[in-house]
Amino acid sequence: MAKSKGNSATAKTRGEAIGVITKGSLVEGLEMKLDSAQNVEDMKAGKFVVIEGDKNDFFSMVTDMRLDANNQEVLLHPPGREDDILRKVLAGTSTYNIVSLRPMLMMPKGAVVDDGPRPVKAIPSHFSEVQEAMEHDVANIFGKEGDPEGRYFSIGNPLDMDTQVCLDMIRFAERSNGIFGKTGTGKSFLTRLALCGLIHYDKAVNLIFDMHNEYGFKAMKENGSSSTFVKGLKQLFGERVAIFSLDPQSTRARGVQADHEVYISYDQITVEDIAPLQDELKLNPTAVESAYLVYAIYKERWLRTLLALEGPDVEEFSREIGAHAGSLVALHRKLKRLENFPFMVSKLTDGDVVDRIMEYLDKGINVVLEFGQQTSMLCYLLVANIIARRIHEMYVKKSERFYATQRTEDQPRQLMITIEEAHKFLNPTAAKQTIFGTIAREMRKYYVSLLVVDQRPSSIDDEVLSQIGTRITALLNDEKDIQAVLTGVSGTDGLRSVLASLDSKQQALILGHAVPMPVVVKTRDYDTQFYKDMGCLDDLPEPERKAKIDKGTVALYGDN
Amino acid sequence: MTRVKTVKERKPSPLSRFMPDEMAKRDGAGAERTYVGEVVESSTTELIAEARELHGGPSFGQFIRIGADLPVLGIIYNVFTHSIEPNRRPTAYGKTEEELRLEQPQIFELLRTEFQALIIGYLDGGAPVQILPPQPVRIHSFVHLCTDKEVRAFTGNDDYLRSILNTYKVPTDELLIAVLRHTLRAHEHSRDYLVRMGKELSRLVGDDYDRLSSVIRRVAN
Repeated sequence: MAKSKGNSATAKTRGEAIGVITKGSLVEGLEMKLDSAQNVEDMKAGKFVVIEGDKNDFFSMVTDMRLDANNQEVLLHPPGREDDILRKVLAGTSTYNIVSLRPMLMMPKGAVVDDGPRPVKAIPSHFSEVQEAMEHDVANIFGKEGDPEGRYFSIGNPLDMDTQVCLDMIRFAERSNGIFGKTGTGKSFLTRLALCGLIHYDKAVNLIFDMHNEYGFKAMKENGSSSTFVKGLKQLFGERVAIFSLDPQSTRARGVQADHEVYISYDQITVEDIAPLQDELKLNPTAVESAYLVYAIYKERWLRTLLALEGPDVEEFSREIGAHAGSLVALHRKLKRLENFPFMVSKLTDGDVVDRIMEYLDKGINVVLEFGQQTSMLCYLLVANIIARRIHEMYVKKSERFYATQRTEDQPRQLMITIEEAHKFLNPTAAKQTIFGTIAREMRKYYVSLLVVDQRPSSIDDEVLSQIGTRITALLNDEKDIQAVLTGVSGTDGLRSVLASLDSKQQALILGHAVPMPVVVKTRDYDTQFYKDMGCLDDLPEPERKAKIDKGTVALYGDN
Repeated sequence: MTRVKTVKERKPSPLSRFMPDEMAKRDGAGAERTYVGEVVESSTTELIAEARELHGGPSFGQFIRIGADLPVLGIIYNVFTHSIEPNRRPTAYGKTEEELRLEQPQIFELLRTEFQALIIGYLDGGAPVQILPPQPVRIHSFVHLCTDKEVRAFTGNDDYLRSILNTYKVPTDELLIAVLRHTLRAHEHSRDYLVRMGKELSRLVGDDYDRLSSVIRRVAN
């Protein structure tokens, strides 16, 4: 697993002993009696500890704690406030603290480094010592940033520790992932961080449907009363990120020049793109059938033909094609809304935008699609669906070609599509109609995966949720949402309390494919140091900067 | 060598059987001359010693060391003064001790102070051993008060508390308190030490929270 584990095995130092294991089971987790010298307030849910067994070290997470007393008398006649000595005497003897631990991984003692930690199949014996996890323990498990493969990307620190927790970016890229959290808990921030990791280490090329214009260029950092701006992906990665805009005016108004403006012609919209909009457009079920009737005759020109009609003509048209008049009239009326979108054009002047996006993605350039002022859910659903469907089709073709030729140069780049408000695409009804449901299910077969960003995971289809590889979760309060996030994860009892007790800022629980064990992190600061780590050129001195740009150009386009 | 307070406060009396200050001056304060008593009855678990001077026994709860080859350690649990003659009780005179010493000095010669000590261990080559000595101390051995250093060495762990709790003849709690106060003084009134001993005691007395809290409170005061 973790290959960059260094020489920790040779110079093993142990953390401070904080207690001993007194009881527990493999299924329900272990209980530790806290050492009387320790303060129970230091044992936070999500803290990371190591249980030193006879043969294995068990890496565990604090999930719960409890105050206990062996004697009812003590509780009935508690020592007075001034009775400091008696309080101290009682602490750890008559009154004691029990901390529940959930063993996550075990590592045989003196194991060869490459063995790596394994899932827990045993429990430590009575009175095994519990220690605070040390930096090398964490590095052992989560790897360390800066390995030659560029595999590990530090996403933050464990609680109360000064060491890195890294995501395995290769594993992260190969499956669909989810970023969840209540509004205002830093979802966009976490997403931006994950995207930075993917782009920086070049593990996947990204297509980001940026509904709120947060990723491309500057984004506002919520900071209590005062707001500051942080750098967007374009600023950090320059040439490796292209901004596409649905609303160039809005993009320009924010002081950004979009690399490409997005227009969609009526011919690009298929009936399949309309079907998922049933909710937003309030279409009745027969409307889609009527649309198919129009499509059967006019093929890709169906929408253009339909919208070209004026009100009274629709009924006549319905008779011509044998559709139900009322249904077609309703469909026509509702689809008229599409004409209001400024990006809808009858004829494309600048080529097909999807081809353009594909071109960029093929070159390894990440695409941020900004929606500008077009923040209606209808618009977002429509555009994301049209583009993602086409991109997916192309990727299926590319992958099939690769399977046929089996040449490495034909291997498609891993693509990750970021969607916000994902439950709109992936709720149980929509998931069956939208392309995103398919992508989430088919997963990596075609080299396309999703990065699902959502505040309401309980609305997402179970089948999709269970396919999500890595979940990065900020605070969630709703029991249903917590339940949903933990769908398909074993041993979740302890995690539930951890999840509900996260801070509302800069804290997240990460679990799943890209981390060997669930872990709570204080997320990395998105600051100048981070910009520098990501190789942002802005703050570098001129010669160094130029050298870097040249190197990048060569890497991208070749020597000449 | 610390001497019991009462010794210093009292005026020297020519008829006293023990005159420590005078003797110390004459003998040049030799180590063997600084004893506080002499063993007159001895067994494996306890001993009775006669104090060197009247009313000059060590205090309740103090640590004593007896003998030289294999010094035995004990804790004073009872001090008493009585008549030499078993059948004769002192008579009440209605006068102060001062007046009596001037008028009838001979009656003090007929009294003696004795003390009983609980054996709690011994020193083997200077190292404290918290088990009963293989042989009881010899009669006529001198009894010395332990120095603070010896007390500290012997009370580093809680075994002496267990020895005290296991005796049934004495007012255990009172003895515990007295002993703890002495050891606490030897440990320079360290709160950490008291807390540590308190925790051990809590284990030893089991569920008895009232007892524990009363002992701790009285020691700490």
